[in-house]
Amino acid sequence: MASRSGDNVDLLAAGLGRQPVSDPLAREISDDATLVRAAQAGDRAAFGRLYERYARLIHGVLLAKVPVGAADDLVQDVFLRALRRLSTLRESGSFGAWLAAIARNLANDYHRRSLPEEPLADDATEHRVSHEEARVQTRTAEDASSAAAILDAIRSLPDAYRETLILRLVEGLTGPEIAARTGLTHGSVRVNLHRGMEQLRAKLSPPQAAVSQKRRRCNGRGEE
Amino acid sequence: MDAAKNKTANEPQANGNDYLWDGSGAPDPEIRKLEALLGEFRHDRPAPPFPEMVLSRGWTLFPLRMRLFPVLAATAAALLAVAAIVFPRQGTQPPPVAVAGWEVSRRAGTPQIGSTAIHANERPSRFGLGQVLETDAQSRASLQAEDVGRIEIEPNSRVRVLTMGQGLKRIALDRGKISAFIWSPPGQFVVDTPSATTVDLGCAYTLQVDDSGNGLVRTSLGWVGFKLNGHESFIPAGAACATRPKVGPGTPYFEDASAEFRAALARFDFDDSTAEQRSAELAIVLAHSRKGDALTLWHLLARVDQGQRGLVYDRLYRLVPAPASVTKEGILRLDQPMLDLWWNALGFEDISIWRHWERSWSGDTSGATSGTPATGR
Repeated sequence: MASRSGDNVDLLAAGLGRQPVSDPLAREISDDATLVRAAQAGDRAAFGRLYERYARLIHGVLLAKVPVGAADDLVQDVFLRALRRLSTLRESGSFGAWLAAIARNLANDYHRRSLPEEPLADDATEHRVSHEEARVQTRTAEDASSAAAILDAIRSLPDAYRETLILRLVEGLTGPEIAARTGLTHGSVRVNLHRGMEQLRAKLSPPQAAVSQKRRRCNGRGEE
Repeated sequence: MDAAKNKTANEPQANGNDYLWDGSGAPDPEIRKLEALLGEFRHDRPAPPFPEMVLSRGWTLFPLRMRLFPVLAATAAALLAVAAIVFPRQGTQPPPVAVAGWEVSRRAGTPQIGSTAIHANERPSRFGLGQVLETDAQSRASLQAEDVGRIEIEPNSRVRVLTMGQGLKRIALDRGKISAFIWSPPGQFVVDTPSATTVDLGCAYTLQVDDSGNGLVRTSLGWVGFKLNGHESFIPAGAACATRPKVGPGTPYFEDASAEFRAALARFDFDDSTAEQRSAELAIVLAHSRKGDALTLWHLLARVDQGQRGLVYDRLYRLVPAPASVTKEGILRLDQPMLDLWWNALGFEDISIWRHWERSWSGDTSGATSGTPATGR
C-alpha cells in the first residue's frame, strides 16, 4: 500500500470504533450461516438463495477487474466453483468474504488466459453497443458515453477503492451492506468509499474543466 | 463534478446524513447521477440451474454403493486380472500417484524446483513436501492450491513446503518476496521466515525477506498475524510490520504514519539501545501518534517496560477510549481479556478469530503431513 501523508487522519479515524451492524444485516448474516449449512448438506434451494443474495456482490467484485460481458459470465463460474468447494468452508458466517476471494481469483485467471490482455478501457463501450437494444431506450448518447467513461475511471483506481465504489455506485449496495457481505469493517468500507470518491472526482473533473474552458472560448463568453 | 463541494463530501459523517455511506440524509445530486448512469451495468441475471450437490460425506450414498457392490467387485476383479497380464509384459512403471501439494506455474525466466528447471509452455509442475522452489533475478513463479490460495513468487526467492495436509498448510520463505492471496479458512496457511511466522487470517498480503533474514509484511486485505517466541503482532489491511532475526516481529504500523513516528518506532523495536534511549524513542512515537496509530500503541502496551506502560495507556486512551469494562489497572498488568476488548474497540477485526486459530495452528498440527520441521520455532 502506498505511503500517504497525514491528509486522511480524520478519514482513518472515522474507521476506528466498531459500529454495530443494523438488525436486518445481522439477521441476514445469521440467515447466511443457516443457508450455507443447508447448502453444505445438499440443499440446492438454499444455494440458490445464497446466489440471489450475493450475485450483485460477486458481479461488482468481478466488474472491478474484468470486462462487463465477462463479469456477467464469470458470476456463474464463481458460484459453481464455490459449490464444488462448499464442504471446505468451515466458517459459514464468512461466506461472502470467501466467495469474494474466489471471484478475485477467477478474475485474475481471466486475465492470465486472455492474451493479449483485453483492454478494460474499451470494454464498457463494446458492452454498450452489444447490449444497446436491451438497455433503456431513452438514454441519451451523452449519458451512455458518460457511463462508460465513469466506469473506466473507477476501474483505474486502486483495487480497494474501485471494488467498493463499484459495489456502491453500480450494484447499489450501501456501505453497511458491503461491510456485512465482504467481512470488512465499517471503517474500512467507509474510508474506501470516501477516498475512492475523492479520487474519482479528481479523475473526472479535469476533462470537464477542459470542456468548460473550450465552451467559453468557442462562445466568446467569460462564463458558462 | 462539482469541485466546490468536494471538501465536505469527502469527509465521512459520524452517523446519519451520509448519502454515500448508507443513502441516508439528503441525496447527493452528484452521487445520484453516478448511480443512475452506472446502474446500467448492474447485475440482473437470475440464478442459473446449479448441478446436484456433491456431498462431502459419502454416507448418504451408502445404500447405492451396497446395491452396486457386486457389479463393482466383479469389474475390479476383471481389471486386476487384465493389469496382472499387461503390466509385466510392458515393463512400465505404474502411473504416478497424485500427492497433496502446490501446482507451480512459470511466470517468467526459469524457476527451479530442486535441480529441475520449469520451462516456458510446460504444464504446471507439482511442488510438494521437502522440495525447494527457487527463482533467480529473471524468474518468477506462481503457486496455487485449490483449497488454499495462490502465491506469487517474486525474483530471487527461495520457498520450501513444510506441511501440506487437510488442516495446516505451511511453507517457508527463506529469502525473497511472495504475494499471497489466500482463500482457505483463517489460520490454516502459515509461512515461516527466518525471523517470524506469519499466520493468514483471511487476507492478501506480501511478505519479503532479505538475505539477512529481515522481514516485512504488508497486508492489503483482511489481516495477518505474526508470531515468534510468544511475541505477537496483528497487521490489518493497510498496515505493515517488520521482523528481525532473534528479535521477531516489530510493532505494526500504518504506512501513512509520519516519518518521525515510523523512524522512532523502528529504533525502538530493533536498535540495541539503552533504556534511556528507548524511553526517548517511545516519547517520539507517542508525541507523533494520531488516531490511526492506535494500532501501534495497542501493541506497544505489551512491549514497553512496566514504568512506561501508563504513558502508552494515557495516549491510547485519548485517541480511542477503552470500553467501560476495561480499567487502567487491568491494562497495566496486561490483563489479556481487557487487552482483547480494547483491541476490538479499535475497529479492525475481532481478536477472538486470532485467539481461536492461533491455538489451532501453534498447538495442534494433527492432520497436517509433516515435512521438514520449521526451523527455530
